[in-house]
Amino acid sequence: MEPTKSGQRVDLEPLRRVLEERFRPRDYREAQELVVGACQEAQRLFGWVPPEAAQLIAEHLGVTTNRIYGLLTFYADFRTEPPGRHFLWICHGAACYVAGAGRLVEFLQERYGITGQGTTPDGALTVHVFNGCLGVCDLAPFAQLDHHEYVGRLNLERLQALIAELQGEAQTEAADGSTE
Amino acid sequence: MGRLSDRAAFEQYAAQAEQRWETLWSGDRWVISVGISECSIAKGALETYRHLELLLSDGHIPAVLRRVGCAGWCFAEPFVEIKLPGQPPIVYGWVTTDRVPDLLDALRRGELRPEWALGVRAGESWQGIPALRDHPFLRSQRRLLLEQAGIIDPESIDDYIATGGYRAFLKALFEMTPEEVVNEVKTSNLRGRGGAGFPTGIKWESGRRTPAWPKYVVVNSHEGEPNVFKDRRLLETNPHLVLEGLLIGCYALETPHGYNYIGGEHALALRRFQKAVEQAYELGLLGDNILGSGFSCHVRVRTGGGAYICGEGSALMYAIMGQRGQPRTKPPRSVEEGLWKRPTVLNNTETFASIPAIIRNGGSWYAALGTKESTGTKLVTMQGPVRYLGVAEIELGMPMRQLIFEVFGGLRDGYRFKGVQTGGVSAGPLREEELDVPVDFDALTPLGAMLGSGGFVVFDDTVCAVDFARYLVAFSRYESCGKCTPCRLGTPALVEILDRIRHGFGRPEDLDVIQYASKHIIDLSLCGLGQVAPMPLLGMLERFREEFIEHITERRCRAGVCPMTAAAPIAS
Ligand SMILES: Cc1cc2nc3c(=O)[nH]c(=O)nc-3n(C[C@H](O)[C@H](O)[C@H](O)COP(=O)(O)O)c2cc1C
Ligand code: SF4
Ligand code: FES
Ligand code: FES
Repeated sequence: MEPTKSGQRVDLEPLRRVLEERFRPRDYREAQELVVGACQEAQRLFGWVPPEAAQLIAEHLGVTTNRIYGLLTFYADFRTEPPGRHFLWICHGAACYVAGAGRLVEFLQERYGITGQGTTPDGALTVHVFNGCLGVCDLAPFAQLDHHEYVGRLNLERLQALIAELQGEAQTEAADGSTE
Repeated sequence: MGRLSDRAAFEQYAAQAEQRWETLWSGDRWVISVGISECSIAKGALETYRHLELLLSDGHIPAVLRRVGCAGWCFAEPFVEIKLPGQPPIVYGWVTTDRVPDLLDALRRGELRPEWALGVRAGESWQGIPALRDHPFLRSQRRLLLEQAGIIDPESIDDYIATGGYRAFLKALFEMTPEEVVNEVKTSNLRGRGGAGFPTGIKWESGRRTPAWPKYVVVNSHEGEPNVFKDRRLLETNPHLVLEGLLIGCYALETPHGYNYIGGEHALALRRFQKAVEQAYELGLLGDNILGSGFSCHVRVRTGGGAYICGEGSALMYAIMGQRGQPRTKPPRSVEEGLWKRPTVLNNTETFASIPAIIRNGGSWYAALGTKESTGTKLVTMQGPVRYLGVAEIELGMPMRQLIFEVFGGLRDGYRFKGVQTGGVSAGPLREEELDVPVDFDALTPLGAMLGSGGFVVFDDTVCAVDFARYLVAFSRYESCGKCTPCRLGTPALVEILDRIRHGFGRPEDLDVIQYASKHIIDLSLCGLGQVAPMPLLGMLERFREEFIEHITERRCRAGVCPMTAAAPIAS
């Protein structure tokens, strides 16, 4: 592991391997076409795109780090800060809106100051209000936890309970020292 | 399996695939198919699949367990189709994992469990189970793009070929000139399914006419609107259909460069399309000198990461080129200067998926479907409290009333219809008395509504018109790329006014300011996002003006949604 600017330890090896295996542009144009995909790989590996990863991608594809940050800050899906222990996508598509998701979004803002994306103060949970449809509208209001678990028919009580559960879990893990 | 060298080799391969398909369905084993899509996975389809796998592993039931795509009936997920030897396949809905043992036991005892059946795949009802095609959700649909949805395994190129796949591409490649392909598409009068409804054949022709080289053909699978989920389902359920359409497009433009730009959130759609591309390469349907024809084609898949604006044509091309996805002024149009400043034909996923049938059956066959100016079939999704929520495919021209109350089953018990929002964030709603309008590209427009990409949102009286308008405009505000001032500053201004009204601080003249500001944003914005951003608000204001006035003069939100923090009504 390399000591990093971001204060976290980031093992760049897996990213380097992926880049060498699957990101092999034949020319400068293709290199540019691959930048977003490479950043997505980085985020998949680390949960966010640390500066060192951005640097590595820039070097590998022969583009400037500026270009990378231009993209990271443009797309809503990228994170330039480490996320919480869990990641929750709350759908703010139209079906979820008419089923009352507006109330959930308001709650997140009032309680945690989260508007588009943010993390609870204890670091347990990053919430991303998804401006689009997550595609499972008949379970509206709908959310997706950690990219694989689905939570449907949410209401304020269920959302609060879910957050409390995730926060509690994080606390126990921290107390156990079982996280790192 | 190596690359097929010529047409005869393909025909031979296809004959074998057909043979295997036949054997599967006429054999003496049970055929059990589980619909696996993002949508069914959310409802436990993977657990259902694993449970079936476990129960079948002891070998008591001689069965083939298959994965298929989604069939559009979200309301009945997870679904399992079971065919017993000598019987027609029965589709069961709501087969969550706890029901699996029960269902299998019952079937072994010869009980068909009609109460769980959605229908039987047969011409008419069988053993008391109605025919699937007579289900109210399916009865008035016309399924071309979804014909094989839920029947073939989306991850199997053999299934696709066994059911007639890639024949249209071969027909184009070996029997037609590129001009003839374009002419057929022109005859079909197919109009773009991504929202604007521009005639596809004409776009392809302009692309052909531009002399610069190389050229590019691009599929727009970005699908970032908040109200629609049809393209990703198409890619999840039949990715080869889209790929075949893209191949035909590349042949028509005589270019080896095809792209699909897929929204980064649509993980399963992305994976399945990528797999389809790999399979096509392996078989020699992609690559150099395809089937010895001399035509080469390479398809690259690119993704973005959560920016609605990247669905706009010029923005999408910048996004592919690794730049921020921001639109540019036109002209030049993309067919003249697109990707890497070269002629680029961009069409929606569904547009490409419509191509193979047009080439197979001819443009005039297609033109006879739908209405004169809006030909063919259209995928539509309906959101909101309707009974049969899902993806449907209808002939264009069906009355909106029939679409909502028959196909999608009307509102669930306890909900009262208030309106239906059309065109995503780009148009206004319709009220009950306007529902006899046909769903097509032109009829909705005079009402301030729009077919758009085919996503509709039914809302009931728990939804406040002011708040809904705010939601729709706020979506555009959030997604504004910030390149031009009318949109960047205008949409927040509209949201601010609406927030004032929602909080009870509205003033009567606010309604005029809305009109005035909207006109500016519409007239002066650079791209389609800004140019239509105020439309939902103007539509809501026209249809539900009394609610806006109530908010302003009485400080009352009849739906009880708006915060209304202001103290007391303003005296005069
Ligand atoms: C803000 C904005 C977002 C758009 N998003 C999409 C989209 O997600 N998918 C799509 O096919 N077209 C989208 N379009 C329309 C495209 O610009 C383009 O017209 C379309 O892809 C052309 O294909 P078609 O003729 O087959 O419809 C969008 C347009 C705008 C202005
Ligand atoms: S209208 Fe809006 S989205 Fe379009 S270019 Fe201008 S700021 Fe960007
Ligand atoms: S709008 Fe939320 S899942 Fe479709
Ligand atoms: S059933 Fe396929 S989208 Fe829901």
